[in-house]
Amino acid sequence: MAVNRRDFLKVGAGASGSLVLSLSLPGCAGLPTGYEEGTGEWRPDAWLEITRDDRIYFTLARVEMGQGTYTGLTTLIAEELEVAPEAIKPRFAPVADEYKNPLYKLQLTGGSTSLATSWEPLRTAGAEAREMLVRAAAGVWRVNAAECSASDGRVIHPNGIDSMRYGQLVELASKEILRGDVALKPAAEWKYIGKQNRRLDARAKSTGKAVYGIDVSLPDMAYAVVTRSPRYGGKVQSFNGDEVRAMPGVLEVMEIDRGVAIVADRYWRARKAQDALKVQWDFSGALGLSAPEVFETYRKAADEDAGESERSEGDIESVLANADTVVEAEYSQPYLAHATLEPMNATAWYRKDHMEIWAPTQAPDLGRIAAARVTDLAPDEVTINTTFLGGGFGRRLTQDYIEEAAAVAFRIDQPVKVIWSREEDTRHDLYRPAMLHRMKAGLNNGELSGWDHQIVGPQILNWYVRNAGPAQFPWTPKFLYDTLGKVGVWAEGIATPKDISAIEGAIEYPYQVANIDIRHTHIDPGVPITWWRSVGYSHNGFAVETFMDELAHEAGQDAYRFRRRLLENEPRHREVLDRAARLGGWDTPVPEGRARGIALMRSFGTYVAQVVEAGLEDGSIRVYKVAAAVDCGQVVNPAIVVDQIEGGILFGLTAALYGEITLEQGEVQQSNFHDYPLLRQYERPEVEVEIVDSTETPTGVGEPGVPPVIPALGNALFALTGKRQRTLPLKADA
Amino acid sequence: MALRLTVNGQTHSLDIEADTPLLWVLRDELGLPGTKFGCGAGLCGACTVHLNGQPVRSCSTPVEMAAEGEVITIEGLGRGDRLHALQQAWIDHGVPQCGYCQSGQIMSAAHLLSTNPSPGRDEIVAAMTGNLCRCGTYSRIIAAVESVVAGEKAAQGEA
Repeated sequence: MAVNRRDFLKVGAGASGSLVLSLSLPGCAGLPTGYEEGTGEWRPDAWLEITRDDRIYFTLARVEMGQGTYTGLTTLIAEELEVAPEAIKPRFAPVADEYKNPLYKLQLTGGSTSLATSWEPLRTAGAEAREMLVRAAAGVWRVNAAECSASDGRVIHPNGIDSMRYGQLVELASKEILRGDVALKPAAEWKYIGKQNRRLDARAKSTGKAVYGIDVSLPDMAYAVVTRSPRYGGKVQSFNGDEVRAMPGVLEVMEIDRGVAIVADRYWRARKAQDALKVQWDFSGALGLSAPEVFETYRKAADEDAGESERSEGDIESVLANADTVVEAEYSQPYLAHATLEPMNATAWYRKDHMEIWAPTQAPDLGRIAAARVTDLAPDEVTINTTFLGGGFGRRLTQDYIEEAAAVAFRIDQPVKVIWSREEDTRHDLYRPAMLHRMKAGLNNGELSGWDHQIVGPQILNWYVRNAGPAQFPWTPKFLYDTLGKVGVWAEGIATPKDISAIEGAIEYPYQVANIDIRHTHIDPGVPITWWRSVGYSHNGFAVETFMDELAHEAGQDAYRFRRRLLENEPRHREVLDRAARLGGWDTPVPEGRARGIALMRSFGTYVAQVVEAGLEDGSIRVYKVAAAVDCGQVVNPAIVVDQIEGGILFGLTAALYGEITLEQGEVQQSNFHDYPLLRQYERPEVEVEIVDSTETPTGVGEPGVPPVIPALGNALFALTGKRQRTLPLKADA
Repeated sequence: MALRLTVNGQTHSLDIEADTPLLWVLRDELGLPGTKFGCGAGLCGACTVHLNGQPVRSCSTPVEMAAEGEVITIEGLGRGDRLHALQQAWIDHGVPQCGYCQSGQIMSAAHLLSTNPSPGRDEIVAAMTGNLCRCGTYSRIIAAVESVVAGEKAAQGEA
């Protein structure tokens, strides 16, 4: 990391005499062009505030959706500031350029990037604030600052006896000017990093006091429900507005871009009125697809178009032509919903050329664009207040629910909260794309000689640019929003980062094979899609790691050792693989009626290998045990790492065992937890997580637990039954 | 229609349609948003409260069924500022991730312990199976409940 700390520290007098430090998140010098265009200078990105009465506020620019930023990022500041993490009060950031994620140039939380992008800048911010406080105290005492120290919110005199509270020093400290870099604490002196195990939000979340979007309450607030086209892309033709308007408590019935909104004085009255609403839809431009057609379309595309080359090494054609054995397989995965437990919701209040919005969102700056798009307001006339998120998993990167609340609020004189039902949340999601994979490999004397992977399906950027383009350039005139969105797609890889959502997990194929060919055939059936916890790794992981298992079997080799031998040059992959095998008892006898499967995937910079022990009980798949080894670099909060990996495993198992969204003539068939089930307490396997001790830069853990468990379970079932399953979800009677 | 409802020890008189789910009365009329809306169909348990000592899914309990009854929500589980032993265990074990399901999880666990102070693992799992958690906090939930059970046993041993 090349960091120019001088350029990004700005000190100002905050309100009520507090010391306000603004800081930026400098980028890595090695980042690809496009991330760091223009000045080469990073602008302020987060705020630390210390008050005269010793309150310390940290403005959290990455939202808390369960993944632990609230605790983890606060811990980084606390470590260098020399206060306990519990002494800092995190606040959710408003929309401002300072809070953009440097990797995306958007204010969004995703891609398991929060810790990695904050690791150095936030510690530096803490260190610089501490240094200024120390110097201020040294000035008062007329001693050498280097001989003073800081501890627990105080600066300590060289005599070891006298001390001053930070609060007493803020005014003086704000006048200090730092020249040169402040050294960060060596790892041996860390008090909290790698040790902090508490979550700072646990109390609020165990007492019902944490405020989620759905909990926002405003004076004279109305409630709205929206009836949307059952088929994506359908338009409102007509509806019985007068009839519905006459129902108890109904204040307004209005057509908005996304359907028909009913506004009532109480939520339940709005819902009851919705039962009486009859909408005639114009389906002329709507989705009409049924489930099996998706894969037929994909297969046809795959036959006609070999795909864009994403990685090519050696000469795959001749190697496959000369192989002793050529193994071929086709894998497929269905659409998946996010099913955050807090359904989509947003509250908006329009008053005199200004709109204020409260919402659980992963991307507040995109929310601002969504609101501006459907009102007469400019983005800077919209304020977004972010709340706690009742789960995110990628769903809340798309701002359709904010768009609805803004459209309704703009037309009424009171605040309004839009709440989606569970059925609406399931049917009007943007899904993890259905994907198809064609795999081919050559074996010579049991040695893998060539690897050919054709990935077939859509990419996500095309669906996301609608608001993301304008959010990067919020001064753009609104009539250009759609153009800007399209430019985002045209300029992919030039002005915008390359969209690797379809190919990630495939192109980083880690095994040492001389001949590799990986291609993407782009085909988009028009079903709305977005990021879903672990994104491309979720489907490529299944294809790659199941096919590796097929090859090991074909070569007559042990599935663990077959992989291991091909990882000579990948020590971090190999380490987690070895540890998972040991932890999962790979070489020990497996209990009667059970079998083990293994899989490995590096995603978002974090290496995870897993061994799953599974069996069949009463006609159902039963997962008994999952052993996971993780290398995520330097650990900040070990308990959160374990929780995120275990949570990812259960998320992946839910997909492996149950996850499937199907369409019938364009209509999503699932609706609630009876037909889109989530793993329940009684199905929970025993999960063991081992973390590799590392001093490498920390990488994210929110997503990497998901990808390996799906193929590892499938591989275990193959070991048990001898039948290979190449489609998800997995079946007990395959 | 006027209804009388006692929630966390306070009696309220409400003028509201009888079929309104108890959940929305608690959240929107009485200002107790700790009880969450997850599915509206009694499938996820996020809205679990106690009605006359029994756990109910408030999203699918019409308020008229709770009339004249006593309701306890997450906000009323502790005594004043003192947390319920389960809430303290939830904090000590760092159970919540996104936290959205946890009010319901705690209310289900509290009912279990009020009827069976020393449940075994299988009994805990069975009692908690109606509460979904999308983040996957299930093992910490079990650990937190078991720690309260162990604490109660230790306290009784000392007495």
